[in-house]
Formats: sequence, C-alpha cells, structure tokens
Amino acid sequence: MEPVSENIRLLKRAYWLIRLRWIAIVFVGAATYVSSNFLEIELQNAALYSIAILLAMFNISVLLLLNHFAKRGNEVSHVAVKKIINIQISTDLLILTVLLHFSGGIENPFVFYFIFHMIIASILLSLWDSYLQATFAVLVFGLLVLLEYLQLIPHYCLRGFTPNCLYRNKLYILGTLFVFTTALYLAVYMASYISVRLKRTERAYIHANMLLQEKDHIKNEYVLRVTHDIKAHLATIQSCLGMVVNKVVGPIGDKPAEFIDRAHIRTIKLKNFVDTLLKLTQMRLNDKLETDVFQLRETVHNAVTAVSTKAEEKSITLNCDVKPSIDKICGNQFSIEEVFTNLLHNAIRYTPEKGTVIINAKNGKSCVVIEIADTGIGIPADEIGDVFDEFFRASNARKVHRDGTGLGLSIAKYIVERHGGKIWVDSIKDTGTKFWITLPKGSQQKQTA
Amino acid sequence: MTNAKIMIVDDDPDYIKVVKTILEKEKYIVVSAGDKTEGMNKIKAEKPDLAILDVMMDAWQDGFEMSRQLKKDPEYKNMPVIMLTAVENRTGIGFKSSAGDPTWLPVDVFLDKPVEPDILLSEVKKLLSNKAENGTGI
Repeated sequence: MEPVSENIRLLKRAYWLIRLRWIAIVFVGAATYVSSNFLEIELQNAALYSIAILLAMFNISVLLLLNHFAKRGNEVSHVAVKKIINIQISTDLLILTVLLHFSGGIENPFVFYFIFHMIIASILLSLWDSYLQATFAVLVFGLLVLLEYLQLIPHYCLRGFTPNCLYRNKLYILGTLFVFTTALYLAVYMASYISVRLKRTERAYIHANMLLQEKDHIKNEYVLRVTHDIKAHLATIQSCLGMVVNKVVGPIGDKPAEFIDRAHIRTIKLKNFVDTLLKLTQMRLNDKLETDVFQLRETVHNAVTAVSTKAEEKSITLNCDVKPSIDKICGNQFSIEEVFTNLLHNAIRYTPEKGTVIINAKNGKSCVVIEIADTGIGIPADEIGDVFDEFFRASNARKVHRDGTGLGLSIAKYIVERHGGKIWVDSIKDTGTKFWITLPKGSQQKQTA
Repeated sequence: MTNAKIMIVDDDPDYIKVVKTILEKEKYIVVSAGDKTEGMNKIKAEKPDLAILDVMMDAWQDGFEMSRQLKKDPEYKNMPVIMLTAVENRTGIGFKSSAGDPTWLPVDVFLDKPVEPDILLSEVKKLLSNKAENGTGI
C-alpha cells in the first residue's frame, strides 16, 4: 500500500467529519420528533429543528470550502485543512451547547456527547489543539450552566424526562460539571496517548518500508550489473566454442569435439539462465511498462506458432481456441506474448508424447480469461503453492527436465500482475496442469502503466 | 561486394577475435578497435564500408553515442552500422524495435551477443549490398 501524505489524509478526515455531521443532523431531527411525539418529553421543537437546519447549512459551507482546497490535489495546504478541522470542531461544540440549551441544559444526558468531539480532536489535531478544544467545551458549557443558574437566560426543563428541574440544584450542577470536565480532559489524554503512539509506529513502518525498497533497488541494480558482466563473458565463451563446434576454424578430433560440444551446450544453458535472471531483474528495476492496444488473438497465435515445432516433435496435439468476441486489449504485447509462449513451452515440455496442450481465450466480465491446459506430469499437491516462487522447480519437473531456471513462472506472474491481471494454477499429479490468466480489457487508449 | 572493409569496435579482444575469424573466412578485410576513441580514429583512417559496434564498452552507452556521432557525420552517415550487444532490454524500453530510428538509435541492425556466424554474415552481406545499391545501409 502506498503511504498517503499527511495533508491528503487530513483532508480525507475533514470530509469524514462532514459525513459524521450529516448523521448528527438526521439524528437531531429524528430524536426531536420521537421525543416530543412518542415519548412526550417537552422540547423546544422549533428551536431544535432550526438548529438542525443551521447545522446543515454550516456543513454545506464547510463542504464547499474543503472542495475549494481539494482542487489543489496533493498541493493542498496542511495548515489550512487543520484550521478547517479546528473551526469545524469548535463550531460543533458551540452548536451542541445551543442545542443542549433548548433541550434541558445540564439535565440532558447528551452533554456527554462532547466526549466524541474530544476523541476526534485528539486523533486529528495536535495535543495542544485538543486540550484547547476541551477547554473551550468546558468554558462554553460551563457558561451555559452558569447563565441558566443565574437565570440570565431562560432554562427549558426537560419535563417528561427528569422528575423536576435541576438547573438550580448546586450539588447536581457542580457534580455534573466536575464529571463533565474530567471526562473531557481524560478523553483527550487517553485518545491522544493512543493516537500519538499509533502515528509514531506508522511512521516507523513507513520509514522501514522505504529503507527496504531502497535496499531492494540497490540489490537489483547489483544483480543487473553482475549478471550483465557474467553474460558478456559467457557470450564470448559461447562464441569461441561455437567457432570450434561449427568448424569455422577447421576440423578437430572426435574425442576433443565431444568435450567441446558438451562445454558448448552447457554454456548455452548457463547463458539462457543468466538471460532470464537479467530479464526479471530488469523488469523489476524498470517501473514503466510501455503499453499499447493490441489484438490478443494475434498474440495467442504468435505464441502457438512459436511452440508448434516443439509440439510436433513430441506428437503433442496443440489446440488453440480464441473466442471471436475477444477484442483488443491494452498492455505490453511483447511481454504478454512471452507469458503465453513460456506457459505453452512448459506445457509441452512436461507433457508426455502424444499428449494434448490447449490454449483458450474467452471474455470475462471486465477481463479476458486465458486458459492453458496440458495432459502432462502435473504438479505435486504440496508444491503447488510454490510454483510462482523464484528459482522454484517442482520435484517431478526436475526429474523430467534437469536444466530449467525456475524463473519462467515468476516472470509470468510479474508480467500478468503488472498488467493488473491474475494468474493461478490447478494441477493433478500425473494427470495434467491448467493455468488461468486474467487480463483486464482496460482502456482502449495507449498509456504508460 | 568482395573485400569490403569492416570495422569492429568492442572492448572484448576475444570477441573481436571471434568476429574477425568469421568475417575473414568470407574474405572481408577486418580492422578493429578496443574503445570509442580508438574506434572513431580508426574509422577516419581506414574508411571502412561497415561498422560493428558493441553497446557497452568503457561506459554504458559508448556504442550508442558512437553510432549517433557516425550518423551525424556526412562522411559516414551512409556507412551501415550493426550494433552487437549483450544488453537484453526488450521488455520495458524496447530499444531493439528502435533500430533504424535515426534520431534515437541510428543503427541499421541490432544483434544479440553471441550471434550465430550465419546470421552475422547474412546481415553484413545484406547491408553491404543495400549500400552498393542505394548508397545507404538502411
């Protein structure tokens, strides 16, 4: 998963607050309606509905403001979004206080909903900002209780819910305010404690991940350089031996020729191995995969043609069925063809004489499904999970063909996944193997993935 | 074209020896150089009919640069160039398909190292006869 930058994450959280507020608005409306109509609690309905509308208007304003900032994409200012979140929370605290004023003030148990704001502030804002918000909540709510107590503003008793009005009861007021204040500060303390540690751990993970990626890149470059140097030497050795094997420099005796032949064949095999390793490493280092729109049918046929001689040599029936509805897909034609050729080569290599190898392509919902099946030696059940691992070769495959690289399927998997597709395998030992590949139909436009 | 002169530029003397043997067997006159600078000097002095370059000599892209330099020079731009390389990079960049692109990779043919003697000889023959007919390798 790609790490999301702090500003984008904060922006997403700001939108999350907006969604929460929509829920709160619906809740205020519904709770007012239910309480006054079904529970027969005396409420200032007009005021409460007005507050819900006011909250909705506030929410729309914040949404517009955020959309304005979000236009800058990744450049969105971290400080600006933080300010918007601060404003959102402060306004919510203020509106909740007004809401409580019209619904029983200190008698209303919803006063403890202030805690939610404290938790949200602790997650999204700095520790300092969170404590400021808690202080603001305590002051605003305390002021409301004080003004109601002093009867400077009216108190709307929550008749029907509490047996009698409590706003003048000193012990009740002080007790509730004490619990309210401590609950708020404790909520900030605990939520911040957890949040800060989580953020710290996350940062450590991101850092470790970056280091790993960097090291992997260095390793790949090293492998690339080393394999390239090895390949250059091998190419020369192969060419020199080729001069003798092909008798370009004249004839030699049968005995020396046999050994030179063996050395030549082994050099070719070693060079093929290095080639494959080099290809895989290069693909890993090269983040860009050049893609174009191409006919999948043609690609399948090319792969079939490439392996047909091998199939004929073993009298293997090679069937190819590409559904007429298969259209062009977007991808790197060369590498996709290589995947098909590689899987067909494997199928032929591990299928006994007179067997059958099939390649089918049909349309899926949003992807093309390619199936490559054979009647070969299969893969032992306990090894099936490892076949896509680098350098892995099934135990029975090693017996049939000693010199495989164990890299072909890793490359195939890498290529398919780079195209956003999937590859998996089903196999029964001594019966046959079936590979499935899905490739997204994708956009029909040329692009660089 | 018999007795055509062919220039090989490669930092691997053993590989030069191989290519030289293959070409000399077909009666070509072969001159060689071990790096880009020596290669450019010898091309000026020897005026070969065709050049075979290795991509990677002292630096990663010496062969590329040399081919670009040659194709820019009016005196050598019609000289066919074969790029021989062990750099396998078809997946991703795909520079082999760019052979013949005069701006990016101005070479006539791209061949993998090690090349089969027959393939090398047929490409050399083809390029030299094209040059004789059209005045250019491409």
